[in-house]
Amino acid sequence: MELSRRGFFKVMGASGAALAATPGKAKATWKSKAPPDAYGCLVDLGRCIGCRKCELACNKVNGLPEPEKPFDDVTVFNQRRRPDDKAFTVVNRYYTGRTDERNQPKPTFVKVQCMHCQDPACASACITGALHKNENGAVTWNPAKCIGCRYCMVACPFQIPAYEYSNPITPRVRKCTFCFDRISEEGGTPGCAAICPVEAITFGRRSELLKLAHQRIKRDPVNYVQHVYGEKEVGGTSWLYISQVPFEKIDSYNMPTRQIPKLTETIQHTIFSYLWAPITLFGILGGAMWTLNRQQITGKSGPGKEKEDRS
Amino acid sequence: MINKRPTFWLTFLVLAAACCLLVVLGATPDVAASSKKTKNPPKPPARVFPDGTPWVPVDQVAALKRAHEPVPPLVMDVLIESPMERQLRLNGKAPSLKDAPYRYMVLDSPILKHKDDPFDDLYGPVRFMHLKHAAEVHDCLVCHHYRPKAEHASETTRCSACHQQPFNPAVPGRLGLKAAYHQKCIECHKKRERGPVDCKGCHEKRVPDHSKLVKLPDHPEPITVTRECLRCHDREATNMLTSAHWLWHGPSPYTVGHEDQFVLGKGTNTINNFCIAVKSNWPRCTSCHAGYGWKDADFDFSDKTRMDCLICHDTTGNYYKAPPAAGMPFPQIDLKPIAEHVGKPSRKTCGDCHFQGGGGDAVKHGDMNSVLYYPTRNCDVHMGGMDFQCHECHKTRNHKISGRSLSVPVAEGSRSCEDCHGDKPHKYHSGKGHEDHNLLNHHLNEHSQHIYCQTCHSPVYAKCKPTKVWWDWSKAGDKKRKAKKDKYGMPDYVWKKGEFRWVESAKPAYAWYNGRVKRVIIGQKVDPARGVIRLTEPVGAIWDRKSRIFPFKIMRGKQMYDPENGYLIVPHLFGPDGYWKTLDWQKSFEIGMQAAGLPYSGQYSWVETAMYWGLNHETMPAENALGCAQCHPALNGEQTCNRCHKDTRHLDFKRLAHRGTDFAAMKAKGRDVGALIGQTDYLNFKALGYKGDPIVYGGRFTTIPLGGSVKAQNTSQ
Repeated sequence: MELSRRGFFKVMGASGAALAATPGKAKATWKSKAPPDAYGCLVDLGRCIGCRKCELACNKVNGLPEPEKPFDDVTVFNQRRRPDDKAFTVVNRYYTGRTDERNQPKPTFVKVQCMHCQDPACASACITGALHKNENGAVTWNPAKCIGCRYCMVACPFQIPAYEYSNPITPRVRKCTFCFDRISEEGGTPGCAAICPVEAITFGRRSELLKLAHQRIKRDPVNYVQHVYGEKEVGGTSWLYISQVPFEKIDSYNMPTRQIPKLTETIQHTIFSYLWAPITLFGILGGAMWTLNRQQITGKSGPGKEKEDRS
Repeated sequence: MINKRPTFWLTFLVLAAACCLLVVLGATPDVAASSKKTKNPPKPPARVFPDGTPWVPVDQVAALKRAHEPVPPLVMDVLIESPMERQLRLNGKAPSLKDAPYRYMVLDSPILKHKDDPFDDLYGPVRFMHLKHAAEVHDCLVCHHYRPKAEHASETTRCSACHQQPFNPAVPGRLGLKAAYHQKCIECHKKRERGPVDCKGCHEKRVPDHSKLVKLPDHPEPITVTRECLRCHDREATNMLTSAHWLWHGPSPYTVGHEDQFVLGKGTNTINNFCIAVKSNWPRCTSCHAGYGWKDADFDFSDKTRMDCLICHDTTGNYYKAPPAAGMPFPQIDLKPIAEHVGKPSRKTCGDCHFQGGGGDAVKHGDMNSVLYYPTRNCDVHMGGMDFQCHECHKTRNHKISGRSLSVPVAEGSRSCEDCHGDKPHKYHSGKGHEDHNLLNHHLNEHSQHIYCQTCHSPVYAKCKPTKVWWDWSKAGDKKRKAKKDKYGMPDYVWKKGEFRWVESAKPAYAWYNGRVKRVIIGQKVDPARGVIRLTEPVGAIWDRKSRIFPFKIMRGKQMYDPENGYLIVPHLFGPDGYWKTLDWQKSFEIGMQAAGLPYSGQYSWVETAMYWGLNHETMPAENALGCAQCHPALNGEQTCNRCHKDTRHLDFKRLAHRGTDFAAMKAKGRDVGALIGQTDYLNFKALGYKGDPIVYGGRFTTIPLGGSVKAQNTSQ
């Protein structure tokens, strides 16, 4: 039997359909690896005054290069910025239509950094385990393991990991570290939370912060949106946000409440459980090879023969 | 022949000696000049009081001591109640101004110091006018919002009792001290649209340690230092390019007839009655310029490398410009360690130029002199009591320094007492010994609509050091005349400059002033026949609601005038062909007027001029301000407040009215105020346009109720 191109795809399609039909069993087995008592930060956008001190502290704590514009220059708010390899956190300004007592547009300042997901997609996508969710909640990057594939950048739903394209020899994946070293010490706090003059960033255990967040939005229902961003988004994040303006208006998009790695890992784990998928695949391929081989031996014309004829 | 020999030898000897003498004499001026050039820079001022004891800014030290007290244990249980509940519970016994223990605080609690954060030293502590805030807010419970649950705790516990380190898991959600301060301050300032809401409005930004940042060779040239500064601070230098301290001219919004111009200034066209004008005398005058080498009219004001950053930003105290060197520093000074320790300006850096105006200490300004480097509290309450540096009031933005004066037209922003103290500043005399003051404060606040704060709070000027009030150029040039020392030890004559008069602790001249100034500039026609020429003069009148009474030093003198052309002459004083070398007025005037770009007729005469100088510094502590009876003769008789107040409260009206500046005590301390003791009608109401004491005759816009018959006195209109 000749295995035509069409025939090959038929076989592959059938095995794919078989795979898709089976995950029911594996779904029940996927488990969140969220640390039980992670640290977190609660960002209260109602408190933030846009002083950019968190950016400054982040820069100093992580030894990042001096920025082009100094940290007390507020003209940077004219552009929407993203964290990159030279700034792990940035504050953006949004005019959402709110006005103050004098009818002046009232800005909302939004700090952006790694959310430190409870089940981070980046760590899941990383094929070498260079990214890792620590027990204290920080998602950190291990330079010794990273091979520079940048899957993490594709995987992150918040588009946080940045790559040092400017450094071709030893490029690093850069992102907020949750000040891992600082918070590992007794009484340590992340740089941004320590410097914040108005405590717009509250540092603590995630479970406590969730209580606090709900308490705050409940106490002031007139001003606060009754939603804690990061409580359920992508299965929960270590960094939580409460806001006085709808989250859609400040580029904090609707995220699925399921963990991002759940689907991918389920598919992967289903394919590779008991190695049944590779075994099947290689079985089919092996069968095809065996058939082809036999046909060649029995003298029927095959693709190899045609080639020979032409030469 | 033999007889004649000794005569020959004698003649020879005499001739030789004469030659030697001539050589020595001829050389002497050069030696003198060169020794002058190698003169060593002065020593930085000593941090001592006039009596030699170490200088201590008493109020500041006390406030810092309180701020650094050990932190009390954290209050765990807080009584949380709504404002209404709390008022009901307190039932009218809420704390009030009288309970406010401290007038002035420095918010510098050790709690605010993080252990070793690299950003810990970003800003300095905040000076906090506690009593003033209490008086403005009128309700202690706005800031002291909750109280500890403990029964005997104070209703107004200090902030740090409840707010300490942030993120304490024992008290979830409780703000740390830093956030508690910031949230309360900013929220309230925003709500009331008063007070600063930005970082630098309250804090002083600290300058990072430059010793690692500055890369310089040993003994660098001044311009090399500036180049090194520019490596990082080009933006600052660009801002400096358009500043008054660089250009010596700028906007003149308060000078009548020149409101929208950017040309007036000492570098261009202002004239005074000290050394007259800058033009043609550059190298001497510009030794106070914030630049290097402005020695003639061709100085390049677009060359940033010519800026002198160190003159304002030196913190070592060792940087000095050599007086006649067009702004260059003493060559002996090693600039490297100075450049490595740059920082904020101080009274030292500002004072090195501004205390020395007019060619010497205290010559020009009646209220600024070298004593203010380290003054006593009584000499200046802000600088001596609370260690204020100049720039803390004269707030600076983009190298444009706020503040204005009568003497120079340039103003890059205005400063007044009211900016911090408000327009009703007399609210908070409370506590011990001030029980009666609410009555008084009402009247004092009424006063602030008619008189500037300085009028009462700086009752005398040149309080700490004699200042020049008379300079007669017409007497200059008499090298034989011996200078006599006056009672303050100041010389009455210098052959280069003429005749002087000095005063110390003098009573100011008072005049109506609405903030605007009339000013004579170079080339402006003036007529000496109409009396003394007023080079600067405050604008104001008794009938002008915007005018208030302001204290002035009036500098008088005689200077050169061109009667043909009808304007004042710019003399060329300094330099090899200047008057101080040639003693030739004609030549001096020709060169000077050429530099000023004006024709000189060849005729000159001496005319009397006067210049008003505002008195803003040397502010006395409140308890030494002028008292009621010192100005109002009507209060010196049997009746004082009881002229109008017939109440039965236990108020000692007499004591209230007769408190004030204690001139007797000042005299005992050696100040020349003997003539002021027991004086009344201090401001001289009649000279200001009143019919007499307003208590008797009524104010300028009001009449005395019930029997007063005097109407507003707008007779001077």
